[in-house]
Amino acid sequence: MKIEYKDVSVSVGRNRIVHGVNLTAESGIITGIIGPNGCGKSTLLKTTLGLNSMDEGDILLDGRSVTGLNNKQLAKRYGYVGQDNSCTFDFTAYEIVSMAVPIRGRMSKRAEQEIVLNSLEQLGISHLKDRNIQSLSGGERKLVFISRAFAQGVDTIILDEPTNHLDIKHQLYILDILKQSKKTILIVLHDLRLAAHYCDTLYLMKQGNVVCGGRPSEVLQKKRVKQVFGVEGFALELEDGALDFHLKMN
Amino acid sequence: MRQENGRNLRGIILFPVLIAVLFVSLLFVISKGSTDISLSVVYGILNDQVLHGGRELKEGLWGRADYQIIWNIRLPRVLFGILCGAGLGLCGAVMQALVLNPIADPYILGISSGASSGAACALLLPIPFFGGQYQTTIMAMVGALISSALVYFMAKFAGGGKLHPVTLLLSGTAINAVMSAVTGFLIFIAKSSESIAAVYNWQMGSLAAAQWSTLTIPALGVLLGLVVCILQSGNLNLMMMGDEDAAALGLSVKHVRAGMFIVCSVIVASLVSVTGIIGFVGLVVPHVVRLMIRSSNNKLVIPLSSLSGAIYLMWADSLARSAFRAAELPIGIITAFVGAPFFLFLMIRKNYGVRA
Repeated sequence: MKIEYKDVSVSVGRNRIVHGVNLTAESGIITGIIGPNGCGKSTLLKTTLGLNSMDEGDILLDGRSVTGLNNKQLAKRYGYVGQDNSCTFDFTAYEIVSMAVPIRGRMSKRAEQEIVLNSLEQLGISHLKDRNIQSLSGGERKLVFISRAFAQGVDTIILDEPTNHLDIKHQLYILDILKQSKKTILIVLHDLRLAAHYCDTLYLMKQGNVVCGGRPSEVLQKKRVKQVFGVEGFALELEDGALDFHLKMN
Repeated sequence: MRQENGRNLRGIILFPVLIAVLFVSLLFVISKGSTDISLSVVYGILNDQVLHGGRELKEGLWGRADYQIIWNIRLPRVLFGILCGAGLGLCGAVMQALVLNPIADPYILGISSGASSGAACALLLPIPFFGGQYQTTIMAMVGALISSALVYFMAKFAGGGKLHPVTLLLSGTAINAVMSAVTGFLIFIAKSSESIAAVYNWQMGSLAAAQWSTLTIPALGVLLGLVVCILQSGNLNLMMMGDEDAAALGLSVKHVRAGMFIVCSVIVASLVSVTGIIGFVGLVVPHVVRLMIRSSNNKLVIPLSSLSGAIYLMWADSLARSAFRAAELPIGIITAFVGAPFFLFLMIRKNYGVRA
């Protein structure tokens, strides 16, 4: 599913956080949003969920406005994996993934079980299914929550900084799975190397505005990186054609 | 015994076990009191009344005095205890899900302190409008509902139109403090030491007001509430994942939180206004259930909390009636005195909260 943000402005309390953002996440590819802390990336994603209301603009799903759609109708269209995957209560990984299934409509216990086990399998965490979520590591927890989004049966997943606080192996593992899933992925990332390598389209945000969007090699130019992040860095193409990001450190 | 594919074997086994314990306890608790009656007589009279419409009693098989004690005095009280325990256990589990806080209890809604203020008004002030035995109950009910409405609207106002778990907890705490101050002030200006003692007694809870005629409304309230909460248990599981996740999974968080808040307020207010404050049941029972089944799945926790709460309060009341032969001990003292150490014991034994 294609998601289009048309001149979207969002305020939280009295502060306007997002100013007339235009952004498109095309179907079946990974679209990344990068930008410094507090530039409005997460606020924009939460607006997609209906958690923040828009002051102006519209969000279109395959060309149709989300206005008037309730949470249930939105959850049938896309999954969401937030930054915070802590849980105060005791649930097993299986129970957490199974919470996504009712959105697909009524079904037998057996059908539900098949969906949950498949989703866990897709993320390679079948062995964790009966473990308490509180006993899992940060990376394992993140995999459980992504697996839950898979269990929703949607072709679009929105993820807010899914690689934060994870070891490098988990970071690559999660992004590889998302890449292979061929789903529409809208993802906020902080690591510019990962953004350069995995995203098909990249949007750079600063102070609530989209500074530029396009292919990562175009977006991650030296001048723009300096302007937005205040550091020296640029995208560079490797011998095998893959894109990397070089960061100059003192 | 482990969980597999979300199937919680402990929980499934616990259902028939607790139902059996409930029935056996019912017989045992009815048999105990100022006059002990044998279990076979208790079973016989109950069996006769329920299944044979009192035919054996008419035939003279059972003593009239035993019948009076069992059927008209002890059974309504025990049933009321079951309803109160079930209602408080149920609302405790729901409140903890609604405010995302394992240390919440039904009284966080401001109900207990509001009911106390209402009861204190009735017991200490000369109210000219109405009198009679239901005065305290009606005033306590009014106080409880005013207080929980205040908590609701304060939380909504502070949250900019939304009911956030934190603002709900904080406004509950603030309204509780204000209402306690009102009660304290009423006690301070009161003249009769007997009335003051009555307020203190009321605040410690009692099931002594139970009669057949007063059972209908709490029974309907608790049973309807139980059905609603069981139907909502899947949604309450989503609430436990946090507002953002719940919304992302299609839940209308605002409506579910407001709706369940009202359901819990009405159930607890209707119970507390009759019994006074019976503390610790709503807090501890859901935890004990979670520790026993090692899961927070509300599909199990809600019905099991109702069953466990019912059993717990039934025994606590039995102890209240029989601990000191001459005088009845307020049940609130027992629920806290027994509940808290038991809870601590479970917490230490299961290493609760340090698994992560």
